[in-house]
Amino acid sequence: MSSSSIEAHIALIGNPNSGKTTLFNALTGQNQKVSNYAGATVSRKSGQFFTPHGHQFELIDLPGCYSLSPNSPDEEVTRDFLLGDQKGETPPDLILCVLDATQLERHLQLLLQVIDLGYSVVVALNKIDSAEAQGLRIDPTSLSEDFAVPFVPLSAFNERGIVQLKQALRFPFPSAPGRLWKGPAELEESIALSTKVAEEEGLPKPEAHGIQRIACPEDADTEAEKFIVKKRTEFIQRAVEAGLQRPDDSAQDLTDKIDAHALHPIKGWFLFSGIMFAVFWTIFEFASIPMDWIDGAFGSLGEWVTSKMNEGDFQSLIVDGVIAGVGGVLIFLPQIVLLFFFISLLESSGYMARAAYLMDRVMSKVGLSGKSFLPILSGYACAIPGVMATRTISNAKERLATILILPWTSCSARLPVYVMLVPFLVTGSLSQTAIMFGIYAVGTITALLAAKFLKPRLGATEPPQFLLELPPYQKPQWSHVFHQVWERAFSFVKKAGTLILGISILLWFLGTYPKSNSDDPVVQQENSAMGRAGKLIEPIVSPLGWDARMGTAMLTSFAAREVFVSSLAVSYSADSDEPESVRETVTNAKRSDGSPLFTPLVALSLLAFFIYALQCLPTTAVVKRETGSWKWALGQLGGMTAFAYLAALAVYQIGKLIGYS
Amino acid sequence: MSNLALHLERDSALTLSQASTGCDFQIRAVDGPACRQLRDIGFCEQMRVRKLTNGRNMLCTVCGTRLALSKDLADQIQVIPA
Repeated sequence: MSSSSIEAHIALIGNPNSGKTTLFNALTGQNQKVSNYAGATVSRKSGQFFTPHGHQFELIDLPGCYSLSPNSPDEEVTRDFLLGDQKGETPPDLILCVLDATQLERHLQLLLQVIDLGYSVVVALNKIDSAEAQGLRIDPTSLSEDFAVPFVPLSAFNERGIVQLKQALRFPFPSAPGRLWKGPAELEESIALSTKVAEEEGLPKPEAHGIQRIACPEDADTEAEKFIVKKRTEFIQRAVEAGLQRPDDSAQDLTDKIDAHALHPIKGWFLFSGIMFAVFWTIFEFASIPMDWIDGAFGSLGEWVTSKMNEGDFQSLIVDGVIAGVGGVLIFLPQIVLLFFFISLLESSGYMARAAYLMDRVMSKVGLSGKSFLPILSGYACAIPGVMATRTISNAKERLATILILPWTSCSARLPVYVMLVPFLVTGSLSQTAIMFGIYAVGTITALLAAKFLKPRLGATEPPQFLLELPPYQKPQWSHVFHQVWERAFSFVKKAGTLILGISILLWFLGTYPKSNSDDPVVQQENSAMGRAGKLIEPIVSPLGWDARMGTAMLTSFAAREVFVSSLAVSYSADSDEPESVRETVTNAKRSDGSPLFTPLVALSLLAFFIYALQCLPTTAVVKRETGSWKWALGQLGGMTAFAYLAALAVYQIGKLIGYS
Repeated sequence: MSNLALHLERDSALTLSQASTGCDFQIRAVDGPACRQLRDIGFCEQMRVRKLTNGRNMLCTVCGTRLALSKDLADQIQVIPA
């Protein structure tokens, strides 16, 4: 599809959680991730669609905002885009404003502000089916007349009314209705003057800048601003009187009933811990079945290749390098799939916002608010979207503190390492689940303590405020849940097939060459490039209880954490002649004196390192971008790595002292 | 409005954090450092609000939406019984 046939640009704006992303997907046929909590769209996305009249438009999905007076960086994006201040972007030709029909009065504020800027607007009156179910009676015709823009009732989720919406986007677009209220002469004069100043400054959309500077001045709460807010609220109330009838709802609905338990200060915590424990238990209990299949499949593949190929370096490259390396990571696919299934299930059902509400009590103890909880929660999947989601935090210092501690929440790339190491500590799925739960808790608790330590040192004094919308519970949108799981699974497999495959091949070469004349595999290994590098790093890692090969595997894991498992699989598989599964390889690994390498204490020391180390260069790059400075990004990388080393050192040395092995 | 009526109204005004749970209120004024943020999320003058729970973070509904807000924010919202 060429971009030259695009006839107009339409910007999609709306309050957070108004169903913007769902509507974007319904219109463009794309599949962006949808969450049932505020702040899902934190960066700009665009797509194209055709109207029934055959016109092609570009649709730009802007971050959700409550108003054009931005409280957080993602809301600034939306305001700047509408004012034409966003670099490299032209102002849109039309605004498609998404309003949640169940929360009409609140969302009409934003609509009025957009109309005031002088844009042509079409309103998508979303979630109309939920509004009807709640007994709300909405008259779109009356609202269309009052606001002088078309209101199209629809349900983006059920794809109802999408065609009508496309029909309402008639091209060429109708002219903008312009400001719907008038102020006293004095105010009108100052708006006109402000517009003229903007014009002289050569700003795009001077009339928009003109009203924006008066309605939302830099210094908050001027008389003019108060007056305009009052005028707009009055206008909305008059319009709503004619266009909306609310039932007298004193009865409790299902969401109230669930919330009475889910938000209860004691019962709520039991429920929260119960849900989290069930998630980890399911991951451990059910993932082992497909894991055994994958493990077995790669094991037999190795045997089959060994039997079909002549013995030599090439056979070793395929069996010990490629199959052991890629298989070693792919085996963890079931865990990744289950983890993301549960995360998107909780998001989609609306429970995540409740979790944030509960967590606010804990977060406030360390100087953060419940708002920081949602990015931290995304961090359990991957630190990168987590760091990006901090854009919804309005307080800059709180945001920085959250970014700096975020990588200590255990991301899904650590899962393969944890799953490999935990069985060395305990057996039985229930106790393994308990250890796993503990690992995540340790990472989270340390992260929170670090926030308590950091925040005053960053110069943040004001107490955090908490203001959060709690969306009604809803049935999960299965198509989105499965799409998200599929996307994550695919990117995991892709990583295994590209980055991890490449590193496995490289590691095999480094572990095989230069060759020595000896036939002893141990001597050969020591003579290889990796063996030599291992010798160099050994003095640093031996106080942690690791051998040289673990040290080199740890070094390679800075490219991506999962590589650690592949590295171990590749380097230890050279020890045995028989191809075997990753777990067997690692379990059978021996020190030079013949004692088993992976003792519970060594596994614990490795775990301590992996909980705390920031072994992910893409995260460092994103932190640099979000904080705008290498100082924070590199400081975080160095600080976390040093902390991880000290933690592993403490675990091993103290463990040895008390006689745990 | 007469002076007496104004006085009476001021006397019956409460902050949202003082207001009792389970009751409906109308927002009289939003005043304080976070007033813009509060208005943006729906706590505008004239709007009706129902307070659901008390506590450090209280729950209330504004036009059918559940909102959670901390006490220091609720202190900035003045309400009168509706």
